[in-house]
Amino acid sequence: MVNMAWLDTQDRHLGHYVNGKWLKPEHRNSVPCRDPITGENLASCPQAQAEDVAAAVEAARTAWENWSGLPGASRAQYLTRLAKMIQKHQRLLWTLESLVTGRAVREVRDRDIPLAQQLLQWHAVQAYTQEETLAGWEPMGVIGLILSPTFSFLEMMWRICPALAVGCTVVVLVPPGSPTPLLLAQLAGELGSFPGILNVINGPASLGPILASQPGVQKVTFCGAVEEGRVLRRTLAGQGAELGLALGAESLLVLTEAADVDSAVEGVVDAAWSDRSAGGLRLLIQESVWDETMRRLQERMARLRGGRGLDGAVDMGARGAAAHDLAQRYVREAQSQGAQVFQAGDVPSVSPFFPPTLVSDLPPASPCTQAEVPWPVVVASPFRTAKEALAVANGTPRGGSASVWSERLGQALELGYGLRVGTVWINAHGLRHPEVPTGGCKESGSSWHGGPDGLYEYLRPSGTPARLPSLSENLNYDTFGLAVPLTLPSGPEIGPSPAAPYGLFIGGRFQAPGARSSRCIQDSKGNLQAYVAEGGAKDIRGAVEAAHQAAPGWVSQPPGARASLLWALASALERRESAFTSALERHGVELKTAKVEVELSARRLRAWGARAQAQGHLLQVAELRGPVLRLREPLGVLAIVCPDEWPLLAFASLLAAALAHGNAVVLVPSGVCPIPALEVCQDMATLLPAGLVNVVTGDRDHLTRCLALHQDVQALWYFGSAQGSQFVEWASAGNLKPVWVNRGRPRAWDQEAQGAGPELGLRAARTKALWLPMGD
Amino acid sequence: MSARNLGTELGSFLECFSCLLSHLAPPHPENAYLSWISKIQVNQPAVLRRAEQIQARRMVKKEWQAAWLLKAVTFIDLTTLSGDDTSSNVQRLCYKAKYPIREDLLKALNVHDKGLTTAAVCVYPARVCDAVKALKAAGSTIPVASVATGFPAGQTHLKTRLEEIRLAVEDGATEIDVVINRTLVLTGQWEALYDEIRQFRKACGEAHLKTILATGELGSLTNVYKASMIAMMAGSDFIKTSTGKETVNATFPVAIVMLRAIRDFFWKTGNKIGFKPAGGIRSAKDSLAWLSLIKEELGDEWLTPELFRIGASTLLSDIERQIYHHVTGRYAAYHDLPMS
Repeated sequence: MVNMAWLDTQDRHLGHYVNGKWLKPEHRNSVPCRDPITGENLASCPQAQAEDVAAAVEAARTAWENWSGLPGASRAQYLTRLAKMIQKHQRLLWTLESLVTGRAVREVRDRDIPLAQQLLQWHAVQAYTQEETLAGWEPMGVIGLILSPTFSFLEMMWRICPALAVGCTVVVLVPPGSPTPLLLAQLAGELGSFPGILNVINGPASLGPILASQPGVQKVTFCGAVEEGRVLRRTLAGQGAELGLALGAESLLVLTEAADVDSAVEGVVDAAWSDRSAGGLRLLIQESVWDETMRRLQERMARLRGGRGLDGAVDMGARGAAAHDLAQRYVREAQSQGAQVFQAGDVPSVSPFFPPTLVSDLPPASPCTQAEVPWPVVVASPFRTAKEALAVANGTPRGGSASVWSERLGQALELGYGLRVGTVWINAHGLRHPEVPTGGCKESGSSWHGGPDGLYEYLRPSGTPARLPSLSENLNYDTFGLAVPLTLPSGPEIGPSPAAPYGLFIGGRFQAPGARSSRCIQDSKGNLQAYVAEGGAKDIRGAVEAAHQAAPGWVSQPPGARASLLWALASALERRESAFTSALERHGVELKTAKVEVELSARRLRAWGARAQAQGHLLQVAELRGPVLRLREPLGVLAIVCPDEWPLLAFASLLAAALAHGNAVVLVPSGVCPIPALEVCQDMATLLPAGLVNVVTGDRDHLTRCLALHQDVQALWYFGSAQGSQFVEWASAGNLKPVWVNRGRPRAWDQEAQGAGPELGLRAARTKALWLPMGD
Repeated sequence: MSARNLGTELGSFLECFSCLLSHLAPPHPENAYLSWISKIQVNQPAVLRRAEQIQARRMVKKEWQAAWLLKAVTFIDLTTLSGDDTSSNVQRLCYKAKYPIREDLLKALNVHDKGLTTAAVCVYPARVCDAVKALKAAGSTIPVASVATGFPAGQTHLKTRLEEIRLAVEDGATEIDVVINRTLVLTGQWEALYDEIRQFRKACGEAHLKTILATGELGSLTNVYKASMIAMMAGSDFIKTSTGKETVNATFPVAIVMLRAIRDFFWKTGNKIGFKPAGGIRSAKDSLAWLSLIKEELGDEWLTPELFRIGASTLLSDIERQIYHHVTGRYAAYHDLPMS
């Protein structure tokens, strides 16, 4: 066997592949790489230690200096050569992958390997045109990629291809006992020219933080289980590297009464019982076709074959004892809660083989309904109407992928647009293509691969300084911003008596804060300028609720209507220019600068209004007849903590970008100078729908804490202290909301690139890929 | 062999489908039946994907491959449908049907005493007499199938089409491959189509009725499903993909749709209807893919000559060539195998 021959070339003793050669350090614990079915020891793998990780990162960093400076055409050539290399050794690759993962060889051979080559080729083209199409962006640097044991080598290809294409270098941390990534790294290394751009080390996921804290590592991408991702998110708060998460593997299938049921049943097989995906499937069936669907499903299940992955005629292999036990536990628990379990298929009855399993009648309140469905289980539940299907489908914390089966175009599109997931296939399941971005939302993480979105994951706007750790070890997450410092009367009020205190702008009007207290705002000379409300947890709750109520209406507005409202707001700003200028002047801003700030703010509102017009586009995928829509959907309720500097301009820039993309917002304005923002609220009160924009003043740390820990805030942008940034990153692990923090670094809001660049647009919306195969 | 599918009356069929129709609550059965037919949807891209997968999913090799190939021989309707057919080449065809694989090869595989023959021979109506005579002379009971009803276009008068069936039966054909009137499908006259096939059924008498749908000319897979269902309801014993004379012949997507219709019909009525792909099946590898398709979609019970046929003319020689290779380990020269 060719795979055994390759293992023999390593004397059945694998190492790490670093800097274009094998690294086999002495005195390491070694872990056996086992055949998941027979348990036979195939080879041994050393567990990496911190110095191995450091060596790999060092190699990647050295390689980066050369690699990132190359013209895109040279990188394109390299990627093409790697694709050829894979083609030459494809038999070795597929037999090895199937042997060690236990997946059906047919799936690896007919899908994964061709897709791996396509990925390299497509990204080669992107590298070739990079100078032209991605001008204004530069590669981040060294990328750390952490894979969990259940993911195939293809997940690695999805991420290393864009990273390498744009000029990053990669260190991949794979769980010990997965030799395919090592083989790929060896193939890449044997091309000779650029050792060190792809390094693979074996080690447990617990090495992740060590990898992330190595100097030079700019981003860490993790794909694996949700809980592991959460832990990693908390651990890496404040670390130098940015974190991208792609979590969970469960998928969803919505089968309506207007579906071609037989084809939809094949969709279920593709999704759960064909070794294509790592996870299980949640199946929603319209009540009127429930019986018919169940009969066809059960009939189809009986024809499935399970067995050793290397057997060319099996549909399902095995995934090792851990996956078996996980499925077993889930099924037992479901059964104990009263669910019906149907198992069929020609599958060996010994562990680690697990038969195709269909669970139905699971009580809605049982814990199993909330838990992620493991491979190879399908959990079926009925729904009555398309509206109910959407409510049920969106009622889970997961947001990976889904398919909709309906021959009625209108219904299919309604469901496709309404599902809160990263990918929707209409009348198909599990299609992948390098050109189509794949990712998720909610707890599935917000990291993307494939398509333009996959490229931006590894790019940053040119001129952005490298990310450095801003970790403060003694930051106490439990107490950060917990209590609001008391504001006591501070001496006599001098000068003219200030106006009545500003309230909190919530639900379209000014309200008194729940705490019934105010904080005083001083001007640049130390005199009392005004009183603003002291917002607290209750006010944040009210603001988020108001934003949620306003969000659906704003989303359904056509971009043109959003644009005209933003333009109207800009005009209002210009009309009251003198008021804003003097408010800024009182804070020590020079008259000239203040005028520029007001003028620029209005311009930002207009610019984003104009950009609201053109969003989303069409992709044409080679093998698919029909289009794939790349939609840009709003994040939902977006919380923004504005920076202290540029009190009006930063506020307007962030607000405009968020609104243009259809988000509802909760803002915390500049702490030292909140008056201009509150003045804008007076205009918004008359112009914008109530609740669309909510502005809460008060202690910034406290408000940040409330927002970051709020489970129903869908994204958070924080511009403030390094400590606050670290807290936001840590707290975002709760609902895994995407966060954007500045780590205490000021931004040049008056510069076009930083104040209104495409980066804001990328962050203000999320992508959804909607596949529309055609044919009659 | 006698006809098994006596057809289904529209009314009784409706009862069978009542569970399907339950949510429609039909006031007039006839209308409900038509509205059910018009509601059926087949998703073409999804069927195409399934067809692509199924060909690669069940590979058989070595002795299993040889066994499957021998099995495939027993499903073949050995066919000659050419303008230049004469009694001599029909005679040769009949002899080949009786002795499909060289005797020494069968001996090597130890199946020489199993009486391996093809399932039938299939000829034009005018050649039925020749075929019957030749088979009788060879001492064989292999049935003779005749195409009929204005094959391949079906664009002749109903009266002559029916007469054609009767004459072929009189000449000794026990299986009749009729073509349907595509005009009726494309214009949506499902009841008229049902009535026509009913009359074909009557004209066949005791002979087997195989209904050719000419799927290459039906326009969509949805029409293929509907036509299959109508043909079965009207009493076909087999539904057959194509005449071999259309530009698109037996393809996997079409077959998947027809097989699903057969299964649905079986579920509703308990009648097992046969399936016959024809046209364009030339290689041994293709025939194996077809066998695995039947096994996957309908199950082993359909893998008998009573329920599955392959209409082909050149397929048999390729199968013989593969068997030759399996037995001898060498590839056969053209002259190593007898022609058909």
